[in-house]
Amino acid sequence: MVPPILINLLSGLSVRLLVFFLLVLLVFFLPRLLPGDPVAIFLSSDLSRDLSGSEAEELRSQFGVAGGWLQQLGEYLSNLVVGDLGYSVPHAAPVSQLLKAAIPWTLLLIACAAPLFLIAGAAGGIEAGKAPGALFDRVATGTVTVIASIPPFTAAVLLLLAFGILWPVLPAGGAEPLFPSDNPLQRDFDVARHAVLPVLALSLHEVSRFYFLARGEAITLSQRPFIINACGRGIKGWRLRTAYYGRSLFPVFLARMSDSLTGLFGAVLFVEIVFSYPGTGHLIYNAILDRDYVLLQGAVIVMAGLVLLLNWIIDAVATSLARRG
Amino acid sequence: MLGYWSPVTQSAGFVSKGALAASVILMMAGFTLSESLPAYKTSPDVLHPPSAEYWLGTNGIGQDVFIGLVRAAPITIFLALVTATVALALALAASSLAAFGGPAVRGAVLRVVDVLQVIPSILLLLLLAAWIQPGFLGLVVLLALTGWHEDVRVALPILLRELTRENVHFARRMGASRTYCLRHHILPAIWPAIVGLFLQNVRQAALKSAGFGFLGLTDPRLLTWGSMMQDAMEHLYTDAWAWLLLPPAGALSLFLIGILIIGEGYSQSGGLTGKEQYDPG
Repeated sequence: MVPPILINLLSGLSVRLLVFFLLVLLVFFLPRLLPGDPVAIFLSSDLSRDLSGSEAEELRSQFGVAGGWLQQLGEYLSNLVVGDLGYSVPHAAPVSQLLKAAIPWTLLLIACAAPLFLIAGAAGGIEAGKAPGALFDRVATGTVTVIASIPPFTAAVLLLLAFGILWPVLPAGGAEPLFPSDNPLQRDFDVARHAVLPVLALSLHEVSRFYFLARGEAITLSQRPFIINACGRGIKGWRLRTAYYGRSLFPVFLARMSDSLTGLFGAVLFVEIVFSYPGTGHLIYNAILDRDYVLLQGAVIVMAGLVLLLNWIIDAVATSLARRG
Repeated sequence: MLGYWSPVTQSAGFVSKGALAASVILMMAGFTLSESLPAYKTSPDVLHPPSAEYWLGTNGIGQDVFIGLVRAAPITIFLALVTATVALALALAASSLAAFGGPAVRGAVLRVVDVLQVIPSILLLLLLAAWIQPGFLGLVVLLALTGWHEDVRVALPILLRELTRENVHFARRMGASRTYCLRHHILPAIWPAIVGLFLQNVRQAALKSAGFGFLGLTDPRLLTWGSMMQDAMEHLYTDAWAWLLLPPAGALSLFLIGILIIGEGYSQSGGLTGKEQYDPG
């Protein structure tokens, strides 16, 4: 008997592989459908203007835009398979190397923020949904409503202003001091200090999603017999909240997480830009500003792959859990 | 349960029509008012703090923040409303197609929705926006095309539920035409959900378009609250952030809270349940 999670993993894989392939095609063709090519854009910028025809032709092949479309696509795909995403001229480094340096920072932010907003959202939502209309519910729901209405970048900027500039207790940007300490313990401490504000901003943005979900679920759960029974038996406090409400919330939370991964990665992007955090969002934004399309394409493909991968795993776990009931 | 014109749906329909009329009037008033205001032009008074002359100060190129705020208001709100309408229309068309088109079509529509759900649309939007610097129309098209699929997941089950109700079967058996059933039985029943979805779309569109403005990826001529916030980013280390950032951010937040509160009223009057709502970008 094959474990059900394996079946879910396999069935989800084909769709995502297809989506990923379509995305790669889209990323490949979009720039080619639009007027101008990377070389023309490159030349129209202030880097260099007078190139001879042969030099421009050489640049074209370097950018992968020489020859017919089919030939370009074949070359692009074969490069992609071996992990060659092209060369970023403004950074003077291969795109894959830049991404390798940036992705851990983004994942660090997400890994630190996820437990924070999941637990805060669940705890607050359960507490509010247990007694809808009570004082806690009104205060918490009101607060979360306001938080949900502040655009993510505004919340990030306000945090940056409050704790980074007006009352500078925490570093306002970057992921490490300019000269990282040699002492590994000190270095970890510095990294943690730099991550506090971005993680907080990210959690603040995501918490409302899970708060309202938990609250809605808790309201329904409160009417379910097993909870009424548990309350009647005198189970309360911590045990009621975790073992009874919390455990029942798990599948719903997972399902919502797989749905909202795109939103999470979008929010990380804004947070990284505001805090100049050297993750992928910052990299992508700078690629846009520098009109570094090779880097932009590579980053979009890799990040899309990452989102699809995470979504695939979470989805498979969620489906298995939902089937268990 | 023959009469679907229950007081709840009736009042929801009435309120939504009222809100629609009110927003149209406000929008017209906004556009005329902003036209009658002095132009949002550069001046030598750069980064002037709020004063009697410049109520909310000026930005880095001497533009009056207050005038910008008022001029951007109808554009920002109109952009959100139009995007929400287009996305909802797409979603309803796809849902109807899925509901009436038989199992094969339904499967195809659901598959497309699934695929769109896992596509990291923000990345594609960034890629596109970097290339074309969308203006008003461009933003509407981009945001609507990447936002409609979430509505289908809510609208389709509701539509299917209402289509198979006994009142519809009964009316059909009594000789009512399809259009009659649609207008008198199905539409009134799903109307609150449609309004709820619309309000949710407005929030999403406002948040996303503000995000693009904030990143400076929209057409520089398109003045929105989001693009005004972009002005503040260079001045975080001076005092100017207070009058550059807070007015547009506050206006946008107030608008979003307002939409949320209206939406809450609907969800209580029989629209969506709490779980389907409140999904910020």
